[in-house]
Amino acid sequence: MPWPYLAPPRQFLAEHEAAWVTLSNANYDPARGGALYDRYLAELVTAEELGLDGVVVNEHHQNAYGLMPSPNLMAAALARETSRVRICVLGNALPLYNPPTRVAEEMAMLDVLSGGRLIAGLVVGGGPEYYSTNVNPTEARPRFREALDLVIQAWTRPGPFAFDGEYYQLPYVNPWPRPIQQPHPPVWIPGLGSPSTIVFCAERGFGYMGVAYYAPPETFARQAVAYRDAVAAAGRNFDPELLGWLTTVYVADTDEQAVEEAAPHLAYFQGTLAAGFVGPGKVWMPPGYIDPPALVQFLGELRAMVEGDRPSDPRQAVWRRSPLVGSADTVRERLLAYVTELGVGTVLALLQFGSLPAELTARSMHLYANDVVPYVREEAHKRFAARGWLT
Amino acid sequence: MNVRPGVSARTSTVEVGSTTVTMYRGGAGAPIVYLHGLCDAHSALGAGELTPFLSNVAEHGELLAPALPGYNGSTGLEGIQDIEDVVWHLADVFDVLGLHEVDVVAHSLGGWFGAELALRRPDRVRRLVLIAPLGLHVQGIEVPSFFGAAAPRGVGGMSEVRGLLFARPDDEVARSVLPDDMGPDAQVRWFGGLAGAARLGWKAPHFQSRKLSRHLPRMTVPTLLVRGEHDVLLPADVARAWVEAIHGARLVEVGDAGHCLPLERPDVAHEVLAFFSAPSGATG
Repeated sequence: MPWPYLAPPRQFLAEHEAAWVTLSNANYDPARGGALYDRYLAELVTAEELGLDGVVVNEHHQNAYGLMPSPNLMAAALARETSRVRICVLGNALPLYNPPTRVAEEMAMLDVLSGGRLIAGLVVGGGPEYYSTNVNPTEARPRFREALDLVIQAWTRPGPFAFDGEYYQLPYVNPWPRPIQQPHPPVWIPGLGSPSTIVFCAERGFGYMGVAYYAPPETFARQAVAYRDAVAAAGRNFDPELLGWLTTVYVADTDEQAVEEAAPHLAYFQGTLAAGFVGPGKVWMPPGYIDPPALVQFLGELRAMVEGDRPSDPRQAVWRRSPLVGSADTVRERLLAYVTELGVGTVLALLQFGSLPAELTARSMHLYANDVVPYVREEAHKRFAARGWLT
Repeated sequence: MNVRPGVSARTSTVEVGSTTVTMYRGGAGAPIVYLHGLCDAHSALGAGELTPFLSNVAEHGELLAPALPGYNGSTGLEGIQDIEDVVWHLADVFDVLGLHEVDVVAHSLGGWFGAELALRRPDRVRRLVLIAPLGLHVQGIEVPSFFGAAAPRGVGGMSEVRGLLFARPDDEVARSVLPDDMGPDAQVRWFGGLAGAARLGWKAPHFQSRKLSRHLPRMTVPTLLVRGEHDVLLPADVARAWVEAIHGARLVEVGDAGHCLPLERPDVAHEVLAFFSAPSGATG
């Protein structure tokens, strides 16, 4: 749920270091913000009406990129406004909650409220959140693992019980309500490609959702292969639904029209709103949040992406990072090729991104839902079955 | 002035409990322990290099400079939860090195830890020089966010953090220590050091213990405090609070220097050594 009223990337970066952490909230206008919530929630409800399988909300703090510091509030509204779609909170940033049983409670509420439609995303939290909350980033990962164990125990072990962890000590864990889904709602974990996260998801039977939408699709392809390998190494059967790909999608009548209409809004998304996470300026990546060699590699890839050759053909410039922008024919053939090759059973389509206005979002969503999804769903199902992935 | 004097450290590792500590040594004679700072030997500088300041110190004794946990290959960061863990780790390092009642020079982050060590184990520290020490919280004095300034940039650019650390951030000294185009090995060392600093320093305001001001009056180790006149991470009022809290402590202000005083004013080593060699009556 982005704030669409900032300047385009070049102008924005000339005046601000990032759209995260330090961009003054004086830039936020509550009246406009209320209208935006109405609009974005309505678009998510439309997704159900159009026959899509689920809706996704996420958590970010102190930024213009995503206006949902509490995605659970949005999920609660959606639980009442929809009746069929899965509601995925992707996710709650566990180290930011103390005690993290709060997450177990709210997600159990959402599961009960929605009649068992919750998908529980659990996440370490982005680097900027650690500057914004001052939680110690050098403890982020062990805190996340421990909090995740606590949440799953809270959902599955009859209470009351005592939890005696390194970070969290609770004499009485006994949350009411408990989730409808047994033993607990599906757990999905978003990642930018960290090998340890991929292996962790595979070993525990959790979904891995590659969310580096700003990077070329080859980046995700490597993660998909790593996840499938890790699932095999863990002795589990691969379930394509647990491998997800977050990617921008925009469908119009022709490739040219799609590129022309989407380009400025993609640029705003990747250049203005993501500034602070990626991009040429300040990257709010706190110390100790990832290992120094991984951080150096991340910064190297980022620099290559920023300084990389920009193709002069506008279509190639857009498709390098966002291949699913085009006519319905183009998008469905490409999407089918990606999902069947990689084993992606969950496509997290960013159908509204950046400053994409309501009319264009609505038209693209209709084309995607009517002319892309049914075909890809059916074909992918056949091909997954042929590869023995559906059991 | 270049920060690379061409004097190599004798680099070694020592096992301390279950952790490994990277050590630089130089010179010979009575031991002088150096606890490094945020941007110093063991972090941004090249592996195995003494700074000119440390070379000067090593001309008058055996310099022993352990890398703090997280820095330059020293392990054990996950075992550090609070200041007690650091103090007892340092006490263990002193044990392994056979150090009793030695002179200690401690800079920046190391200054905080050195003061906490001297408070709890005065038997280990004969005299203490704190150069631009972090650690002291003084209500109402706002210090700029080091970790905010040190956040990386997508495309080069260390000017913001240089501006916090150096009096002359665009001079050769600052640029050679924190270049805009830092190579991958130096980056790994730098980011590893930032994680080491963040372990206890992250809590806001960064590097400020609310307990230290209550404990400092218990200090019995003779202490000299040195501050660079342009240091924004150790404001003048905080430096005064240090010496007011420690009985008999003296403050020396040094011109032409910021937080990275030892890099910008390596000649200050002579002031430090004079303090160590002065008769005990002259330390106050």
